[in-house]
Amino acid sequence: MLSEVQLKKIIEKVITEISVGDKVKGPEVDVKAIDETLDDKDVPDITEIDLKAQVLVPNPENLEGLLRMKQSTPARIGVWRAGPRYMTETLLRFRADHAVAMDAVFTDVSEKLLKEMNLFSVKTRCKNKDEYLTRPDLGRKFDEEAIEIIKKSCIKKPQVQIYASDGLSSTAIEANIKDILPAIMQGLEVYGVKVGTPFFVKYGRVPAMDVISEVTEADVTCVLIGERPGLATGESMSAYIAYKATVNMPESRRTVVSNIHKGGTPAVEAGAHIADIIKQMLDKKASGLDLKL
Amino acid sequence: MREEIFSTGIDIGTSTTQVVFSRIVIENIASVASVPRISIIDKEIIYRSPIYFTPLLSLTQIDGEGVRQIVEEEFKKAGLKTEAISTGAVIITGETARKENASRVVNVLGDLAGDFVVATAGPDLEAIIAGKGAGAEKLSRQKGCTVMNMDIGGGTTNIAVFKNGEIIDTSCLDIGGRLIKLDLTTEKFLYISPKIQRLAKGLGIKIEAGLKVKERELAMITKAMANILEEAVGIKAKSEDYTKLLTTKDLKGGYPIDIITFSGGVADYIYNSKETETYKYGDIGILLGKAIKASELTTRIQTVKPVETLNATVVGAGAHSMELSGSTITFTQNVFPLKNIPIIKVNQREKLSEIIQEKMKWFCVENRIQQVAIALKGKQNPSFLEVQQMGDWLITGIGDLLEELQQLIVVIENDMAKVLGHTLYRQLEYKKAVICIDGINVDNGDYIDIGKPLANGRVVPVVIKTLVFNS
Repeated sequence: MLSEVQLKKIIEKVITEISVGDKVKGPEVDVKAIDETLDDKDVPDITEIDLKAQVLVPNPENLEGLLRMKQSTPARIGVWRAGPRYMTETLLRFRADHAVAMDAVFTDVSEKLLKEMNLFSVKTRCKNKDEYLTRPDLGRKFDEEAIEIIKKSCIKKPQVQIYASDGLSSTAIEANIKDILPAIMQGLEVYGVKVGTPFFVKYGRVPAMDVISEVTEADVTCVLIGERPGLATGESMSAYIAYKATVNMPESRRTVVSNIHKGGTPAVEAGAHIADIIKQMLDKKASGLDLKL
Repeated sequence: MREEIFSTGIDIGTSTTQVVFSRIVIENIASVASVPRISIIDKEIIYRSPIYFTPLLSLTQIDGEGVRQIVEEEFKKAGLKTEAISTGAVIITGETARKENASRVVNVLGDLAGDFVVATAGPDLEAIIAGKGAGAEKLSRQKGCTVMNMDIGGGTTNIAVFKNGEIIDTSCLDIGGRLIKLDLTTEKFLYISPKIQRLAKGLGIKIEAGLKVKERELAMITKAMANILEEAVGIKAKSEDYTKLLTTKDLKGGYPIDIITFSGGVADYIYNSKETETYKYGDIGILLGKAIKASELTTRIQTVKPVETLNATVVGAGAHSMELSGSTITFTQNVFPLKNIPIIKVNQREKLSEIIQEKMKWFCVENRIQQVAIALKGKQNPSFLEVQQMGDWLITGIGDLLEELQQLIVVIENDMAKVLGHTLYRQLEYKKAVICIDGINVDNGDYIDIGKPLANGRVVPVVIKTLVFNS
């Protein structure tokens, strides 16, 4: 057994050697070069496997029954085991899905997409993602400059003001906006409702819509916003819709349509449904709990 | 948000007639923050009529007035007004001349049976309805297995096969308890159906009306009938007699059967063969039940007694004939109920317009077309552009015939009816009424009834009348 003193000496020695080694110049590593030469095209992307159809149980008693059970839930059931633990594949998939969720939060909605959709962009008072995550209060406010841009670029007093916002998942916007926005617009056209100028809000929290409602003086305001991603999907989007929203109004005045993604309600059908809700809000001059749908 | 609707089922069989009333409860089962999902959450039979002998004018003709009297009386006994009934089905079963009977009964029941009641069905739909009423569909879903229900009535045996809650096969055979009728006092034959006469001839037995009944001969005939049912299940190779007794097409087969359930009047004597009075009903029903009980049908395959035996068809008609559309649909005009709309199903993705155009021609008479509905599978998660394209193809395919249609009716399987409905309405420049519903799986040869919207206009009740089953 080593005594405590002996242990201390060993540690000191190791530390000195490490710091000495630091001073010795090792071969220069060009990180960029590695990145460029990294060829992962032969590495399969495990997140592409459909978990609901993947059976890891060897020789299942009733394969069809197991598949039916798996179809009924996004939960990771029937994953088998290695001793008392997950199999490597299950563990890697779990971490990969977690990474998808992290990416959904930390990436930005691409400028290219916004341009393609013809959406101008404003920012809340958050300066970056870290501030967005740590200061929810700033994610619902705009500085004067942003307010001016909105005022200048948008039709005044529209019946409906629609805008998109990254929220907690930029991936959700990337995945759904191209299909949901035109579906809402088409639905509103069918119902004969006039729509304002759609745009995009970066680093937005849901109550930012209250400010936008006040600035544009819209009757109904609707935000399409990325939901907090989970391990099942990072693409889920919600629509929060309110009649004459005002800053500091009760949350109960918002109507929500959630779970919009390819495994939930399809974006196009959700869009048509949202148009229907907006029409009813305009007819009944109410939203949230006041509006019986 | 709960809503209750009342449904009626009327089963007019070769031998008996019955009426049931049921209460169906629908509710939005989606969470508050989701797109609504309105579903049937409860079905309950609230009234069952006694079993009447079907009033007949002749051996094959149903007495429509007599049926009307029975139904009127039962409404009174149940304490229900006819206006309270919003859905249901009238099923005319058996070997009797279906078509003439059907139109006669429809005519006399027309105003009685509510706004939205189906009349008649082919043997395939009968089989499905009986299977659902017996609970075979539910059993197959709960156990995750394949269940065959044989509904053995007076004139026919309707066979339906369910796998995991889905119907996969149907057929119908001329095998039933009242294909031979006897006079109890004289112990002579009153009636023998021609097909059974032929079957008996093959066994070397000559029977005809007026001859004395011999139990040994009847035992041979019912055993032969049970053998035919064994052939249907696949325990024995199919004989020539089997083919002759088929009233429609044969079963497609190709699946193992885990469980058999028997329903219909004869079923009670399969599960309970203690009845000592063999000719209690003046027919061969009890003998046939015993013959089936003694056959390999009950020894080779697991048999389960269903929740309904004698009443399976009427319960199925009363409680299981209606389904709900998806909860996001489009209708630009409330013109419901719509009845007997034939389906044009298009499966292909390519050349959709051309195929629609061609199939529409089938329904044209002298360049005029009756109201039809176009059915598509759709796509699970379509893009907005794909929806626009689909709308385009549909409208191009229908072409000039659109003028002839009262409204454009589209029935789609996948959840996209609201957006497709909006698309079509806009593409038609709001000039033609559009009805677009989803969550409904239909095929060529089907007819549908679409009832008045429920749940604040979110869903419509739909009855699919499958005339030919071949999906």
